[in-house]
Amino acid sequence: MLKVCHLYPDLLNLYGDRGNVMAYVRRCQWRGIEVEVHCINLGDPVDFREMDFLFLGGGSDREQNLMAKDLENRRELLQAAVEDGLVVLAICGGYQLLGKYYRTLEGHVIPGLGLLDFYTEAGRKRMTGNVAVELEIEGEPVRVTGFENHAGRTFLGQISPLGRVLVGYGNNGEDGTEGARYKNVFCSYLHGPLLPKNPRLTDHLISLALRRRGLPAELTPLDDRLEMAASEIMLKRLLR
Amino acid sequence: MLVAGNPQRARAGLKRTAVLSARSTGVSGDSAASNRAHYISSNKGCRKNLAFRLRLILAILVAKVIMWLVRLLGRGKGSSLPGMVALKICPGILGCLARQARRGVVMVTGTNGKTTTNNMIARVVREAGYRVVVNTEGANLITGVTTAFLKAASLAGRVDCDYALLEVDEASFPRVTRQVHPNMVVITNFFRDQLDRYGELDKTISLIREALVQLPGTGLVLNADDPLVAPLAASTGKEAFYYGLGKHRQVTSLSAAAREGRFCPHCGRELFYACYHYSQLGDYRCPGCGFSRPFADVEGTEVSRGDHRITCRLRSPAGSHELVIPVPGLYNLYNGLAAFSAGLSLGVEPGVIIRALAGYTPATGRMERFRYRDKPVLLNLVKNPTGFNEGLGALLSLPGPVDVLIAINDNDADGRDISWLWDVDFEVLEEHHHRLNSLVCTGQRGAEMAVRLKYAGVPLDKVVVENMHRAVEHVLNGSGTTAYLLATYTALWPLERILSGYAKRESRAESLPSVS
Repeated sequence: MLKVCHLYPDLLNLYGDRGNVMAYVRRCQWRGIEVEVHCINLGDPVDFREMDFLFLGGGSDREQNLMAKDLENRRELLQAAVEDGLVVLAICGGYQLLGKYYRTLEGHVIPGLGLLDFYTEAGRKRMTGNVAVELEIEGEPVRVTGFENHAGRTFLGQISPLGRVLVGYGNNGEDGTEGARYKNVFCSYLHGPLLPKNPRLTDHLISLALRRRGLPAELTPLDDRLEMAASEIMLKRLLR
Repeated sequence: MLVAGNPQRARAGLKRTAVLSARSTGVSGDSAASNRAHYISSNKGCRKNLAFRLRLILAILVAKVIMWLVRLLGRGKGSSLPGMVALKICPGILGCLARQARRGVVMVTGTNGKTTTNNMIARVVREAGYRVVVNTEGANLITGVTTAFLKAASLAGRVDCDYALLEVDEASFPRVTRQVHPNMVVITNFFRDQLDRYGELDKTISLIREALVQLPGTGLVLNADDPLVAPLAASTGKEAFYYGLGKHRQVTSLSAAAREGRFCPHCGRELFYACYHYSQLGDYRCPGCGFSRPFADVEGTEVSRGDHRITCRLRSPAGSHELVIPVPGLYNLYNGLAAFSAGLSLGVEPGVIIRALAGYTPATGRMERFRYRDKPVLLNLVKNPTGFNEGLGALLSLPGPVDVLIAINDNDADGRDISWLWDVDFEVLEEHHHRLNSLVCTGQRGAEMAVRLKYAGVPLDKVVVENMHRAVEHVLNGSGTTAYLLATYTALWPLERILSGYAKRESRAESLPSVS
């Protein structure tokens, strides 16, 4: 049984990111792996270490601020869980929040949770469009696609990127990196949503969660022809 | 044209306009103040100097030639190109033409229901005996609005109409209102729509708010049930006429996911709802600061839904009436309430309004009906989660097994980001899949639509991905008793063209000539 934690589903309901939770849950269920989804809203109690997969999305500024305040109170618990190997997927605003700080155009520094070594600066130009990224999953290169829409430019410290940008802006439009990776925390700017469009990545996140619980992490293969066909169409369009 | 996406270009264009008209006329065609002055003496036409008049006539001439060519070639609807070219030749043309509407300009903006509401208002105003200029179907950027006036203008630049009725894209609203000063602005609702184009909803709303502040004397007709729309009267210091729905038995909630304004726009607390109609529309109250749904001047109660219509009892300052809207869907009732309120505010007799609305026929893509052999075929436009959820609701209310076609494109007009499909509650189809004969996905992102259905739990043997032609053939020849087609904006026209080759149109899209 895997416990999936969907953070602030009522607050962060922009850009279809809830699709990441849907994909994670369905791909477990299709293999007979039991899943329990915990929807955690502002102020709801939760012990992150008990969870197996945590999803954190992004929202508009107003919602982002509410979520940041709430998470600040849970910082210690979240950090302990991350160090313990909790599998996390953080997208866009959720990604930015895990870093050291966000500097606005006016120069105000908004502190982040500081769990990962990176910072974000507001940019004048919004980075919007379809993206193709190459990741490495268990030593194999995998191409994923998505849609980015962010004004913040993220710069990584002593931490690996999630992947290398083939087409699009990625973290900052300069250094060719996309997202961040620390222990079992995966951060990305990619909406789309990311997981349903990229089943290899989803399965990797499921395997990691099973491994953390000491369960067999070998997954039954599924029929992914629809996902692959959709991904191929977008890759062809972007890489031609 | 990406107004919000390219502020530099928008600003540059504005500057050029101001310089040109200042040089040629001494009267800026852009500033709200001069618009206002001209607006009051509007029936005088455009008193501008010779250079301006020459540009104006050239712009109209070129635009008319383009319209004629577009018609001759049968390419597209030609609803934005003439305006685009004319604005290049004579940047002040829109303000000059719009100022001639004798009784004024009404604008409809908001996320959903702009076209329907505007067409309904056009019907009401025509029924009352006025001549109107209306922009056609979705041509709601500054270019489309300009084209509407160009169609109506004589070569000398005269426009003979009482009212100009304009649906205006939310993001284009500030740009259009810099040239055209509306007497009345109707705001339908604010839902999430094409985020990559507009940035976030909050930003869109604040741009509209700022634009409204620049429009002294403009009255508002607002949806009281939308906590994102209702505060616009107070925040702009304007008079507003509110419409809304009272409590009714069929308070629906297909979607719990796509609610946009669940938090107080003033203090950020979660709003308390006495009832929801759909999405964030309902009877709301903030437990923190006391912000609440305003009293609705026009209120619908006793809602009753039929297959092809929706009715309610109406309470208004003009008394009590029975309102019949001959298209289904609660959202269409909202459009009807908006049109009723606009008509009443313009001084049209309530009986005339009721009669006009009862005769409303939908525009292209707003639930058009075709027939293929004995099979009813329904075509519906979808552009955001709220509208799509309503579309699915209508789909599941149909009797018998249905063949469904979903066409998803990702051009600029559709929104390049299609992730909003994951905010649509396709999960309702899993539960009701026995009523679905097949689900055919098509369009530029048809394959991804199929992925969405797969993760919604729809049985895979019912899901097909096809090119548009084959997709249409598939649903027409399916063994279901009805074919139901849902398409994003740019997928709608090719779909309609293909469909017309096979099926007979039953409800002719109301083709709106720009002047009646």
